[in-house]
Amino acid sequence: MYPGQLQTVPAQLDVPALIRELFSEKGAVAIAIIVLFLGALVGYLVWRGTRRFLISQGVDDAVEGTLFERTVNNVGLSTVGILSQLMALAVYILSVIVAINVARIGNPQFFWMRFVELLPRLFIAALAIILGLVVGDKAELVVNERLKSVKLPEASLLAEVVKYSIYYIATLVALGQLGVATAALLILLAVYAFGLVFLSGLALKDLLAAGAAGMYLLLTQPYSIGDEVKIDETRGIVQEINVFVTHVESDGEEYIIPNQRVFKSGIVRIRS
Amino acid sequence: MSGLEDFLDQFADGVDGVCLFSPSSSMFESYDAEPPVVVVGPENTVGADSFVELPLDFSNPTERVRFGIEGAVQQGLVDEEMTVLCALKSFGDDIDTVMRVRAAEFTRSGVYDLFVNSRAEPAVIRNVLEVSVELGKKGQKGKPVGALFVVGDAGKVMNKSRPLSYNPFEKSHVHVGDPIVNVMLKEFSRLDGAFVISDSGKIVSAYRYLEPAAQGVDIPKGLGTRHMAAAGITRDTNAIAIVLSESDGLVRAFKGGELILELDPEDY
Repeated sequence: MYPGQLQTVPAQLDVPALIRELFSEKGAVAIAIIVLFLGALVGYLVWRGTRRFLISQGVDDAVEGTLFERTVNNVGLSTVGILSQLMALAVYILSVIVAINVARIGNPQFFWMRFVELLPRLFIAALAIILGLVVGDKAELVVNERLKSVKLPEASLLAEVVKYSIYYIATLVALGQLGVATAALLILLAVYAFGLVFLSGLALKDLLAAGAAGMYLLLTQPYSIGDEVKIDETRGIVQEINVFVTHVESDGEEYIIPNQRVFKSGIVRIRS
Repeated sequence: MSGLEDFLDQFADGVDGVCLFSPSSSMFESYDAEPPVVVVGPENTVGADSFVELPLDFSNPTERVRFGIEGAVQQGLVDEEMTVLCALKSFGDDIDTVMRVRAAEFTRSGVYDLFVNSRAEPAVIRNVLEVSVELGKKGQKGKPVGALFVVGDAGKVMNKSRPLSYNPFEKSHVHVGDPIVNVMLKEFSRLDGAFVISDSGKIVSAYRYLEPAAQGVDIPKGLGTRHMAAAGITRDTNAIAIVLSESDGLVRAFKGGELILELDPEDY
């Protein structure tokens, strides 16, 4: 599958062979034990370092309240703890593999080679799942917070869509790392992304046009609040100009005119 | 203790509704559904069905009750014939005062109307009031200042006024409520004339000389020309006016040519 990688793995395994050549059998066992100790020490340092780094970056505050954090808290763990333990675990396993290879307990070369090859990808997959769960939940919380003022049941649907989109992408990354065929899922993702872009483009067409016209109107202010104007057949006093619409009022009737109409049909300022 | 309980029973007898002012959620939940409850507060933190928003932190309990009841009556949550029990905080951080009021006892002052049924958004009115109160408290560099803000219906107000000088807010897009703008407003308050603010809170102009027809404007005697101009412009347009008096330091709000609200900045 990866011809390039297969060649590099024997090169890595050369180190134990070299050690065995330099020292006697007993020496090799001693060095294996030293490697184990060193692995434990480095693993502990990595655990502490990662933990401190994540906390200093404010990750523990950022994941507060997400579903993953709460589930994990129920069993007495935290997201930061799990992430740092995962890192330490990687170091431990690596050191155990190196030690076994040095001491040459049995000859499971082929099995270990494949395992070593798979190990980093397994870790990345686990990391992707955790990150996906945390980020997805957090995104849902943020979107819900933003839409809090919109008291519509349909509004929560948007947050759900965002959450499951992130879950989907995280799963895709994890499966890809494990070497599962993801072509079909990828095509689904592409179709989904295209649909999203296409539909939102279609839906937001008028808003974008109004916004672009509104930018010009706000920057140059060809007419301002209090001026009497005529747009198409609508005549009145300008009450308000914002990015998307202009409010024009006459005799108790307030017309709300999209800004692109001001641009399309022009505006008459009435001076008298 | 039966004497006290009898007294309280009598006090609560014949009550048709209850107003809770900014209750804690545990207190709100422990309360039964009968008689109907109206929650009054700056924010609906307890998720009550009947809610009246309090735009200002009225320090005076009677003002707060007045606003709450007027709001509840206007929203149709409380009938004019009802006798209502109001529970509120007056001294501590917990609810410590209970008042028994008949909703019809109030002559409508229009305080609730001022915030909710004006053209401008309630948040804009609140922000302008806050700026005025702050300005009244500190003055401009220690000296008392006066100011006049006309809020809402800006197009009409602009046509009923003329510039005294160049408009410092021309081609700017500043809105009341931004902290930096409050500083700016304080600096500009030494200018003569009125500030004009649109429905959405955009500061349209400063230095405006208001030219309303002042005939028939009836405001309390003793108020100066600034108040007269404010009352006049609110009668001619759908705007409201918020005035900080230079002589007595009070903040007053006008709507429809009438004085609606009077606040002492020192109380906030």
